[in-house]
Amino acid sequence: MLVVSNLDLTIDSSVVKPSTFLGSTIKEATLNINNEYRYLKTGYYVSLHAEVLGNKVIPSCENIIDSSRTPVLLLRAARAGIPTLPFLVTDSVKKIATEMGFPAVLFAVNPFIYEGFKTAHNKSALYRAMKSLGMNYKFAVCAQPLKGEMVTFKSFFGKCESQDIASQNISRKLYEAFNIPVCKLHIQKTPDEAFLCGLEPINKQELTDQDLKTISKEVMLFSEQGDTLVVQNRLFC
Amino acid sequence: MSKIACFVEKYNFSDPTEQAALQNFKQAAEKLGQEFQFLFREDISDIPKFDAVFIRATTDPLNAAYVVSKTAWELGLKVIDDPESITICGNKIHQYALLEKYNVPRIPTIFLNKDELHHKKIKGIFEQLGKPVVLKAPYTSFSKYVEKTACESSFREVAKRFFKKSDVLAVQKFTPTAFDWRIGVLNNDILYACKYMIPKGKWKHGAKLRGKATFTWGRTVALKRETVPSRLREVALKACSVVGKGLYGVDLKEVDGDFVVVEINDNPSIYAGYEDQKDKDIYARIISYLSA
Ligand SMILES: Nc1ncnc2c1ncn2[C@@H]1O[C@H](COP(=O)(O)OP(=O)(O)OP(=O)(O)O)[C@@H](O)[C@H]1O
Repeated sequence: MLVVSNLDLTIDSSVVKPSTFLGSTIKEATLNINNEYRYLKTGYYVSLHAEVLGNKVIPSCENIIDSSRTPVLLLRAARAGIPTLPFLVTDSVKKIATEMGFPAVLFAVNPFIYEGFKTAHNKSALYRAMKSLGMNYKFAVCAQPLKGEMVTFKSFFGKCESQDIASQNISRKLYEAFNIPVCKLHIQKTPDEAFLCGLEPINKQELTDQDLKTISKEVMLFSEQGDTLVVQNRLFC
Repeated sequence: MSKIACFVEKYNFSDPTEQAALQNFKQAAEKLGQEFQFLFREDISDIPKFDAVFIRATTDPLNAAYVVSKTAWELGLKVIDDPESITICGNKIHQYALLEKYNVPRIPTIFLNKDELHHKKIKGIFEQLGKPVVLKAPYTSFSKYVEKTACESSFREVAKRFFKKSDVLAVQKFTPTAFDWRIGVLNNDILYACKYMIPKGKWKHGAKLRGKATFTWGRTVALKRETVPSRLREVALKACSVVGKGLYGVDLKEVDGDFVVVEINDNPSIYAGYEDQKDKDIYARIISYLSA
């Protein structure tokens, strides 16, 4: 198994830099470890290059794109049995106010904003949130009801730093469904439940030495399992 | 009866010929006994109420149109453009890599990574492709991010600009022609054929910003689909087969008596009086495909 990474992993086997891999035609199952799997960024092109070469790769381009489009993430997550809340995709303040009510948590659905969310407890806050996330009401947003408290944590290979079992389950199941090895999750916590709300990349500066150790350990575990990269085959019709 | 949602944005109605084409789709659908409704961004969450989705808003993996497409696809609806076609056609690196993999005749192309923007690489590119070369940002459409350069300093300037959004870009041999062939393909079959004439003194067929009333396009000359030269037909269909089975507009150039693919577009423009000049049934064919 080939490990391609832009991170300083501490593992015995060799790690190929993304630029080296992009200029190569290495035909081997590929594990792509990057802090940022954003569409059009190097992390994406590594998976694309691997797919075009016919390599099995984690994560797949499809999963990279889908996990960063909040409505698609939520739809596919819900179908994989991950707790989510009903959501609306719209650019209409009125629609959110009447069909969903308050408080609400909002994620951007546009080509420019890929991190963060806003919460709104009343109509004027909703206007403000939609103005900024919709970039002056030019784009749609994804709105979900806010029933509890928003928490954000890093997730590596489906394992998260949260002590909460419900959150751990979300992290693990989400990894099974989307195979994003390194990411940040936004989860809503109520006293006895947890709901997935969003996923975003991690800034390189946010990764501590401990995080890099954890990721390295997971990569080692992964390669020890042999070259049996389990990649879900999601065929388009 | 099939309920078809046509996902549009306001700008789809700003050009009267595009607006007329959209009405033609609606009429064709009603004539065939299907329901056809325009779906705007406000009502994206209504997708589950439909049987099929036809996207006319500009597609890109980062646009709302992708969310519409993937949602429809996940729910088992018929959808044009399907998410995979959007993903492949929306990124020039992706589609050129596939054209290369499957040996589809194409314009000589080199990919450039962000950290390769140095003298040796640029010199090598000019040696390999000659001067000038054409730089393309992977996400370009409407010729917006396609530029010609003949020296290292302007190469660097353009590349730096394109690298702001994408870490890889495409460099091509400059291959000017008097017109681009535009072959419309639906479900592995030729739907329409036209020549997009390139205005005198220019090298791109059009520079248009969607939603803006003023733009300059070269003329469009349509041909009856039966009269498409067989080699052109073959190359166009082969190009689409590496993407999928949906609706595409393939741009090709005739070079030295053969055809090379410039690009495959999902979401091809269909304007009344242009692409439909010779084959009036394109509306009904697309509707039938969606409601089959
Ligand atoms: N290598 C090339 N040499 C000469 N002309 C080119 C080359 N590549 C593209 N062109 C011309 O530039 C125009 C735009 O190119 P292309 O289709 O690749 O970009 P685009 O932004 O996707 O445009 P559109 O959406 O209008 O098709 C076309 O008229 C095409 O013929």
